[in-house]
Amino acid sequence: MSEVQLVDIEKRYGTFIAVQKQSLTIHNGEFLVLLGPSGCGKTTILRMIAGLEEITSGDILIANDRVNDKPPKDRDIAMVFQNYGLYPHMTVQQNITYPLKLSGVNRDARDARVKEIANKVELSPLLKRRPSELSGGQRQRVALARAIVRTPKIFLMDEPLSNLDAKLRGTMRAELKHLHHELGATTVYVTHDQMEAMTLASRIAVMDEGRIVQLDTPKKIYSEPANIFVAGFIGSPPMNLIEGKVSNGSFIAPGIKIPISIGNQKNVILGIRPEDIELSDASDSEISGQIYAMELTGDATLITLRNGTSSICARGPADYEAQINAACQLTLRSGARIHLFDKTTGQRLRYKSLTNLLYRKNK
Amino acid sequence: MIKRFYWCVERALLFMISSIILFPILWMFLTAFKLPRDAYSISIIFTPTLNNFLTVFAEPWNLGSMVMNSVIVAGTTVLIAVPCASLAAYSFSRFRVRGRKFLFFLILSTQFIPAVVIVLPFFLMFRDLGLLDTRFALIIVNLAIVTPFVTWMIKGFIDAIPSDSEEAAMIDGASRLRVIRDIVLPMAMPGILTSSIFCFILTWNEFLFALILTRRDAVTLPIGLVSFRTEHGDLWELMSAAGVMITVPIFIMALLIQKHFTRGMTAGAVK
Amino acid sequence: MQDKSLSYALLVPAFVVVLATTLYPLGYSLATAFREWDLTRQIRPGAFVGFDNFAYAFSETGFQNSIWVTTIFVVVSVAVTLVLAMSLALLLRRKGRMHTFTRIILILPFAMSPALIGVSYRFMFNPEFGVLAKGLAGIFPSLAGVPWLADPNLAMGVLLATDIWHWTPYMTFMCLGGLASIPKETEESARIDGASTLRIVFGIVLPQMKGILAITAVLKTIFALKMFDQVVTLTGGGPGRSTETLAYFIFNVGFKWYDMGYASALAWILTAIMMLISIWYVRMLISDKKMATA
Repeated sequence: MSEVQLVDIEKRYGTFIAVQKQSLTIHNGEFLVLLGPSGCGKTTILRMIAGLEEITSGDILIANDRVNDKPPKDRDIAMVFQNYGLYPHMTVQQNITYPLKLSGVNRDARDARVKEIANKVELSPLLKRRPSELSGGQRQRVALARAIVRTPKIFLMDEPLSNLDAKLRGTMRAELKHLHHELGATTVYVTHDQMEAMTLASRIAVMDEGRIVQLDTPKKIYSEPANIFVAGFIGSPPMNLIEGKVSNGSFIAPGIKIPISIGNQKNVILGIRPEDIELSDASDSEISGQIYAMELTGDATLITLRNGTSSICARGPADYEAQINAACQLTLRSGARIHLFDKTTGQRLRYKSLTNLLYRKNK
Repeated sequence: MIKRFYWCVERALLFMISSIILFPILWMFLTAFKLPRDAYSISIIFTPTLNNFLTVFAEPWNLGSMVMNSVIVAGTTVLIAVPCASLAAYSFSRFRVRGRKFLFFLILSTQFIPAVVIVLPFFLMFRDLGLLDTRFALIIVNLAIVTPFVTWMIKGFIDAIPSDSEEAAMIDGASRLRVIRDIVLPMAMPGILTSSIFCFILTWNEFLFALILTRRDAVTLPIGLVSFRTEHGDLWELMSAAGVMITVPIFIMALLIQKHFTRGMTAGAVK
Repeated sequence: MQDKSLSYALLVPAFVVVLATTLYPLGYSLATAFREWDLTRQIRPGAFVGFDNFAYAFSETGFQNSIWVTTIFVVVSVAVTLVLAMSLALLLRRKGRMHTFTRIILILPFAMSPALIGVSYRFMFNPEFGVLAKGLAGIFPSLAGVPWLADPNLAMGVLLATDIWHWTPYMTFMCLGGLASIPKETEESARIDGASTLRIVFGIVLPQMKGILAITAVLKTIFALKMFDQVVTLTGGGPGRSTETLAYFIFNVGFKWYDMGYASALAWILTAIMMLISIWYVRMLISDKKMATA
């Protein structure tokens, strides 16, 4: 129906490869998020789907139709831009009506539809205003309204929330999620904010330097990151990544000794999320060090320990009190997920016995 | 205390500068309303008269026909140059045309050719075609002078417009031409108007070509000025009246665009 | 995609206009430069004489004089205009009613026809009834009866005055634009660190304006080389030949003495000079852009 297929696409600017040769299929009705840092190629892919950027090689198919040579207007897509791209010389109403005008809808049908949409995004009182008279959040809703007014097959969104303040971002996330549920359209969403990705996506494509490094559901990406890059990118506060080695059934690093039942390994990186670490009373705990910093987030305290070169962050209780540079002991929660990565390649190490390592307290 | 002093100095400076700017203009305006005997004195108090204006519009000066010529030449030049320039400016600004830099430099380099170099060929060409002393010839010549500059100016304005709105329009279903018509032109209108007025001013004040290519019929206002030099001496009060006629329309236009002037001047140079 | 052909199509009207009106005359004039042609004797260009016209120029006093006059004119006018424009820009970028007023009327000298400016200054500097001649004499009695436009040096001075009066506003606008593009933070942090205004201007602002100032200087040089109108109305090249710039000299050679061949050659010498400067200008634009985006 409205499936998008990118087959062996590549984008070069001269010798610079912005998007490496790869394929991607976006299923009908799914909400796919392209997530990654600036310059990773996510916006380029979006713009290639839109037809705003030429494809160096490969094919793009929308609903099984090859659209490489089709201009944007013939692809039946809608897009919300980061800076909204509103028409400053038109009123809100004219902005939203414009797409309908272009597709030749008659005036009465147009007006009815615009009214309906304006109601849905709560813009009805603002219809006669110009974009310059609106707040950021209001402009964003106009952009959204203009996008949904045509009920296109595909929605493309290029960091639509990044210009909003934090509180508004939260509200709009919920709105977008609800909208997607209502309209059920295939959506491709670009962002660098991992929280947006986690909350909105049905699948996330994490990108780094022009390549998708992991394509999975948010749950899987969170619990089974494919490499160090993904591991460190998703989750707030980020996963602890500690260099060390495994020998004699334990992972060893300065101030850290964690029992792991696998064979010896040199040059590994251990990954463990702050929420999987807790304070310990025992004096021989797995992790010890000096308190470097404490940050109260309201519902918890983020405790950062330093021991020589390694740094570990743990999520402790909100009422925790201690001095900086005091000694501190930490241990892993029962059922904590332990991740191991190869130091040189950064890839996840997989073990035949377990899909992932779970820490079990043997007390 | 010191602040007060500096503030006074600043205001004094500004006053001085404004005076320097306005004085020659005001003096000319004053003289235009003076009788000949007052014109040759430096008094500020005098009996004003409109005689000078009446004289210059009558025979043998015929300023009226010169006004007409200037208006037609400048107006037509703008009407032809600005649309051509706008389209080219859009292309230069938005498209990665191959050899774009070279083409742009080509257009710009015509600005650096002194008028004297092409005056002669034009003179001969128009003479051969029997087009000397015609408004048509002046329009052609002014188009040569002005089109590159206006293209550069409008390109600067279009560069400053983010292309988001155009891309949104293309996705909404508009063809490129439709985008130019519905989105770009309205958004660039202040810049286009500023450039048009600038173009008008340049053509209105154009001197060298008008001097050489006109004799009697197609004489424009700046050349008309020179005709007030007689063997008996310069008729200053008449010249001033003519000067007023030359400058008033231009001043009004200049004041309209002065707000946008900085952007237009530097858009191409700074960005 | 269709866009490609459209992109070229949009360029066509402008290029037709420019090429049709510039290329042919340029070619014609270049050809004429290599021929001998006295318009009073022949209707068509005369015999081919190679580089004779050019060689003649370098030994001819008229040309040498005009080079000298032009050099003085260009150097002084560019230097003075630049300093004034930069100073004015620094002054006018601040807020205030008078500042705004001055900024608004600043465009007027630029809008005025240079020919008219020449006429106006000629009138004002007339020793018998010129308001400036009389006014200056009133302030400095030693200046009474000075024949402003009859003295070679003074005439050049007045000519420079007209040019500076005409062009400083334009240059000031460019500097204002340049100043606006300098991040305010650089000045503010210097001020917090305790630097005096003078230090800030010379140590922080001006260095950042180098690019703009260079571009402004080159542009002004080109306009100064082109300058023509005022010479006609203010001095007529005189007294003697003391204000006969190269552009005016070429005009005389061609349209007073009708030596078309020589005039064309001279015109191309001037063009060559301006081309060199303009190449320099474009180079600077490009490198400045590179620095700006870096």
